[in-house]
Amino acid sequence: MYRSLTALACLMLLAGCPRQALFVVLPSEEGGVGAVSVDDGKTVTTLDRPYATAESRAGSSEPVEESRGNIDVIFRRAFAAQPILPQHFRLYFVLGSDELTPPSATAYRLAFDDIKRRPVYQVEVVGHTDTLGDLRTNQTLSLARAAAARDRLVRDGIEPAAISIVGRGKLDLIVPTADGVAEPRNRCVVITVR
Amino acid sequence: MIAAAGIVRAEEAPIAQIKKATGQATILRSGEPRPASVGDKLFVKDVIETGPDGAIGLTFVDNTVFSAGPDSQIALAEFQFDSTNFRGAMLADMRRGTLAVVSGDIPRSSPGAMKVKTPTALLGVRGTTFAVQVYPDH
Repeated sequence: MYRSLTALACLMLLAGCPRQALFVVLPSEEGGVGAVSVDDGKTVTTLDRPYATAESRAGSSEPVEESRGNIDVIFRRAFAAQPILPQHFRLYFVLGSDELTPPSATAYRLAFDDIKRRPVYQVEVVGHTDTLGDLRTNQTLSLARAAAARDRLVRDGIEPAAISIVGRGKLDLIVPTADGVAEPRNRCVVITVR
Repeated sequence: MIAAAGIVRAEEAPIAQIKKATGQATILRSGEPRPASVGDKLFVKDVIETGPDGAIGLTFVDNTVFSAGPDSQIALAEFQFDSTNFRGAMLADMRRGTLAVVSGDIPRSSPGAMKVKTPTALLGVRGTTFAVQVYPDH
């Protein structure tokens, strides 16, 4: 009896029903505006600014105001469990070589320090080249660059099993150019740490 | 021969790694519970579950980051990712609890391909940082 009365009250007044779910867009660390759409099967609510919030009651989802203070309380434990976010580093190489440019020693150190601050880590090293030379030479060179970065990390104590390497040759350019173009910014490896 | 077939299945690629785990945190794999520990790899169809004092943080291979608070259950229902073009698809099925997300490469390269299902609504993720709470059954 009580239950059916509650159900009736729900139908008459959505706000009288218990909240079933809460959806919140948060400011992103990169500063970009995030967005999610909330589709309850009948209507779609788009949340596209920081702290835009929707809730579900009686199966229907609608925008709602929720204070930042409440959001922080509701998600405190979830936020506290957030891992260190993934990071990317670019290291540049000498023309035709798997030797780092002198300024890239700093970038290497930043990548290394970032790996070391993580309790567990996975590292991906992707090698690239510019478009001088043929496909096969560049494929080999890009992999050699990735391997050189990997070997240096391993020498410095990073777990080899946690590092994967791949060479993309001149098929995946960091800076798009025509074929046969010397472009220092394309002679690089991208290290992703997560 | 039979062993070889088993190895192929075991070698299905991991999709995520546990980065933080506190209190009661469990992985359900094929229905079997096992304690979730920092460093553990997760596979498609694994379910992460936390108790009243539990929390768990994980990072996917597309660089999406999930962190769940206490009394949560989230199934990693679908996940595909191609690291050469960053395209893929992902569906997390959230049954209860709290979840904070920082999305990675999949929604950036494949708009509309990252979704979070809850009992009352389906979330389409355009990016990047958001949070969901699903209340327990009333």
